[in-house]
Amino acid sequence: MAFARPRVAFAIGQRLATPRTFSTVQHSLLARRLLSTSRPSAAEHVRYGGHEPLHSDLSQRILHRETPAPRYDAQGNEIDPYKGGPSAIDKAVHLFFFTEILRGMWIVLEQFFRPPYTIMYPFEKGPLSPRFRGEHALRRYPSGEERCIACKLCEAICPAQAITIESEARMDGSRRTTKYDIDMTKCIYCGFCQEACPVDAIVETQNQEFSTETREELLYNKEKLLANGDRAEAEIAANLHADHVYR
Amino acid sequence: MVSLIRTLRSLRRVGVREWWRQLQYIGDAKSGRFVGADQFGNRYFENLNPEEEVPGRHRWVDLAQHEYHASQVPPEWHSWISHIRKDPPTEDNVMKNLSPPWKAPWVENLTGTRGAFKTYNTAAPKINAWEPKVAPRGQ
Repeated sequence: MAFARPRVAFAIGQRLATPRTFSTVQHSLLARRLLSTSRPSAAEHVRYGGHEPLHSDLSQRILHRETPAPRYDAQGNEIDPYKGGPSAIDKAVHLFFFTEILRGMWIVLEQFFRPPYTIMYPFEKGPLSPRFRGEHALRRYPSGEERCIACKLCEAICPAQAITIESEARMDGSRRTTKYDIDMTKCIYCGFCQEACPVDAIVETQNQEFSTETREELLYNKEKLLANGDRAEAEIAANLHADHVYR
Repeated sequence: MVSLIRTLRSLRRVGVREWWRQLQYIGDAKSGRFVGADQFGNRYFENLNPEEEVPGRHRWVDLAQHEYHASQVPPEWHSWISHIRKDPPTEDNVMKNLSPPWKAPWVENLTGTRGAFKTYNTAAPKINAWEPKVAPRGQ
């Protein structure tokens, strides 16, 4: 037992045909103490559930309870299954000359001379979807007329209740909003407002670089939202065009 | 300064001055096809050779300002550099046709400056001070 422990810990000769006189449970714990292979004692199935317990060969393989049956050739001699593999001296050489560590260090050195995978933001950017939900914007019709008709569907569906709308009849009799406020600190960017909108007025643009230094700058009013839409209309319309076959 | 061969190749292609500027700003020497420039002077490049640029890093911008910020990229080019659209806005017919005549000029994120957005109420006040109206007497 006292000899078996360091041998197993070094993983030398673990698979050589040594007589397993020591406890197989301790052997397995020492040799492969991995999360995927160790027995999760807390997550065990109910053994006595009235039906046949689940069975697989995996547990036997993990616990090494099953010794492989010896195989024999035509003359009746036992075949050594490890004959073609590395010898104990080979393994000892690899151990004492740190070849595995040197191989790992060589991989690190190779990566050092390769171009880095790091994306150099803000000069390079990661890919975004046309459906990406960023800063909000209110859109206009191509004629310049604002789209929002103050139906308040977005205000009703907003799960964070970040939208506040007030409306009045305009001079020409059409109903428009006098107040369209979005509290961007409340907004959870779920995109329900743009899905609820019947006229595609409120959209979430692909702009994600609108962080501010103060909280007050994130309390958007109607003018700010319309200005966002006026500046990014080409991008918004192109994204809607790219996505229109799925809508 | 990783990948010595790649750095030297970019140095040979773009010249010492451009190479030095890239190392000061991007922090990595890159070389590729010049795709276009926007109205602010930001220059956009592309290199689709996977042997020279890691895929995902194949589009980049050389921002014109020293105080650079990601929001200095206008939305048309933003959708190109974010890989939303395949073609740059100078060649993208969809983007060109959908640009309205009333398009407002792009302003970068001005937070922390005097141009920062300051919110205000766009609706008429609900509660007004009482303004007494006195009917003239003796008439």
